[in-house]
Amino acid sequence: MSRPLFFEKPWSVPCLPWSVPCLPQTNPARWSGQGWHAFAAALSRCDIELRETKSACGIFTTDAGGTAYGLPHGVVIARSAAQISALLKAAQQFHVPVTVRGGGLTTEGESIAFGGVLLDMTGMSRVLSVDAGALTVRTEGGIFWHNLAEELRRYGMDYLSAPLNLTASVGGTLGVGGIDVNSPRLGCSADQALALQVVTPTGEIVECSDTQNTTLFQRVILGYGQFGVITEATLKIRRYTPLRMHYFYYDSLRTAVEDMQLLNQNDASDYSGILTIMDCAVNLLVAFDSDEREAAFRTNWQLRLRGYGEFGFALCMLRRYTLRPWKLREAWYLLQRKRELFPEFRRSEYMRNGLMHDRTVVFSRAVWKFWGSKQMVIPDLATSAEKFVDAVVRGNAVCRKYFPHYTLYCVGIKLRPEHKPHYEMSCIPPDAKNWAYGCEFEPMIEGQVYSRDYFQSFKNEIYDIGLDLGGSYYRFGGMMKGYIRRIFGDEIVNRHLAMKREADPAMILNRDVIF
Amino acid sequence: MFHSKKTLSTRKNHSDCSGCSLCLLVCPVWRQTRDIGLTPHGHAKALQHNAATVDSASAWHCTLCMACEPACPDNIDIIGMILEFRRQQSSPHWLPDLRKKISEETTRQTVKASSSARAHLELPVLLPDASLHAHPDTLARTAGLLDARFCDDDGSDISLALESGADIPEQRLHQFLAPLRPLNKIIVADGLLFHYLKKWIPNLKAISLGEAISSHAAVRRSLRRTDLYIIEPRAYHSDYPRLVKYYDSLRIDAGCMFNLDLQRIAIPATVHSLPQRFGFLAANDEEQTRWLMHGQNITRIVVESLADYSALKKTGDFPVVHLADLPNAEQ
Repeated sequence: MSRPLFFEKPWSVPCLPWSVPCLPQTNPARWSGQGWHAFAAALSRCDIELRETKSACGIFTTDAGGTAYGLPHGVVIARSAAQISALLKAAQQFHVPVTVRGGGLTTEGESIAFGGVLLDMTGMSRVLSVDAGALTVRTEGGIFWHNLAEELRRYGMDYLSAPLNLTASVGGTLGVGGIDVNSPRLGCSADQALALQVVTPTGEIVECSDTQNTTLFQRVILGYGQFGVITEATLKIRRYTPLRMHYFYYDSLRTAVEDMQLLNQNDASDYSGILTIMDCAVNLLVAFDSDEREAAFRTNWQLRLRGYGEFGFALCMLRRYTLRPWKLREAWYLLQRKRELFPEFRRSEYMRNGLMHDRTVVFSRAVWKFWGSKQMVIPDLATSAEKFVDAVVRGNAVCRKYFPHYTLYCVGIKLRPEHKPHYEMSCIPPDAKNWAYGCEFEPMIEGQVYSRDYFQSFKNEIYDIGLDLGGSYYRFGGMMKGYIRRIFGDEIVNRHLAMKREADPAMILNRDVIF
Repeated sequence: MFHSKKTLSTRKNHSDCSGCSLCLLVCPVWRQTRDIGLTPHGHAKALQHNAATVDSASAWHCTLCMACEPACPDNIDIIGMILEFRRQQSSPHWLPDLRKKISEETTRQTVKASSSARAHLELPVLLPDASLHAHPDTLARTAGLLDARFCDDDGSDISLALESGADIPEQRLHQFLAPLRPLNKIIVADGLLFHYLKKWIPNLKAISLGEAISSHAAVRRSLRRTDLYIIEPRAYHSDYPRLVKYYDSLRIDAGCMFNLDLQRIAIPATVHSLPQRFGFLAANDEEQTRWLMHGQNITRIVVESLADYSALKKTGDFPVVHLADLPNAEQ
């Protein structure tokens, strides 16, 4: 059997083809299928159902990004750690790539199988136990955060932080980070994991945590799926609380970001994040879990914020467009967007006595309704607090150059110093202290047709800012992996590659995502 | 809920599915099987991949609870997609038998309906479903409570034909709809028929049986804070933007709990697809009913649908009361 081309890449050569600036990225080459039938027979002997029909494979042709396409040779629905163990052992033996998919919410093709097996983790999506006393939950790795929230609510509990989209999976999120509007206070989702059950690329089923099999835990958390499949996770949880919401409006991105950082650094709010309609219409969301925290904010911090209330901002915009009548179309867009968006955040069935209930549902459904589309291109920048304003302002200028309308989503991430080993070669920038900051730049596609090259050029320009500032990215896998060596450097990447080769001799697990 | 961006008049088809998976979160079949291939997401993606003729069995697992429709941010006509998919099928093996039964029922109803009396225009008219017809006492109490006259021709054969993908003879459909067109108000027990009546007669003032009974003052007064109120999912999801607000106000008034998830989508009490109801496939409601009651601090279950009544009664955990019997149960 000839060795797959994959091994022939010159990993140790410092000057690599993908370190050439601004090279448009492409889908990885499809695995040729060598040895597939023997592999399928081996799975059959292990009683593993392998689906090879057009309809079964067609479900997984793309991810949330919708710009990369690939087909697996077959699909396996995850049912148990033992089943996944047998699958990975066979995959090692026959050199068959295995792509692991949770919610499929990647945007750079990371959860698309370009041949080989697609392992659908949503088949393992049950809550195993809730310990309300210890404030922990043990769950299977393929569960959607929303399903976890549904189960926890029956106990009056909630998870700590998770991406605002309902259908990200726990396992997938722990592998990349997971940012919420409470991350400035509680950190990223990956930091909430206390212990994991992992099936390693060679099929061992291992329990790991900060005190048990520590190295594996460090590599799996924020490891982009390279070092194992997360089959179970123990997570911190908390009592559920409705939110006291405040919205502040800015006509300057810089001011809004500075105010958000002011709140974060002084622990002045429980939730904070920035969402823009345009760069002259910026919303800083501030929210609280308790009356006490809200009262303290009102007393100590509210007057220091430079944002407007809704009425004040309307006057500000009126003045702006009265002086710039040639920009009336822009004003009309803003008005329309406001009319669409605002009622969604004030739906009566989610508001009780002035409190917002189930904020993840409210935010996430709004995200899908107003920002979801068949194509989603969301380059991002992650930097230290000091560099963040610069990153946002420069990224905004790039967006403005490429698209008429776009949205910026900015949020802080509280770091845990003891988790520094987890953060290596991840979205957390190496120079970030106490907080890291992230900004997503999402163009509004609005039914327009853009070429993939156009999107790629846009992403590259955003990512070049990260290189310039010495930051990091949330989405550096898949089609953006050309930036990995440039942003992290050869020494770190080579070290991780060596660990990967040791852990995954046939390099079958989530091939082409990072390495 | 999501219908503002793309109005009902611009509903989309499977090719517009972006694969967000929000339909999975509310799909009882997915909860039971954890198999994406049996969900609207799976159907739409398979159809996008031109796999319509490859894998037909999966469409028959759908219970048509319609929970996926209000959950879909792309406003895809999911029920239309599944029923059209079923209409094109000639397998599985039990399908011809099922369609034959339904066809015989349609013929029988055609003969029967031609001799049935027309309803008085000034009274609300109640269209019972098959399960209500099977319980004449409850049907009589319901009609009495609502001061409604009930139709003998309830369209249950049409509902079955829709669900099975069988053809509905034009004459039969006309015969069923014609007397309904001039009515002032119609109360519909069958959630699927409710969904389609609003399409067939857009100006018809149709309300679901659950809304009609729960609007009654004596019924509202009889609800307790420890009741778990089971909304009939088909009608609720069919008129979701309005009914989500209606039931929220009922929650505020009565203080009872509902079978609503965090998205305010109704959790069905049963997972009965058509072939399961007809005994062609095995049904198992245990996990679903367990999930429905899991962690709920309740003393009684109140149901809108008699089909749910039977399923929940079997569990024996709590007393189960049909909504129409609630005032009597309290006395």
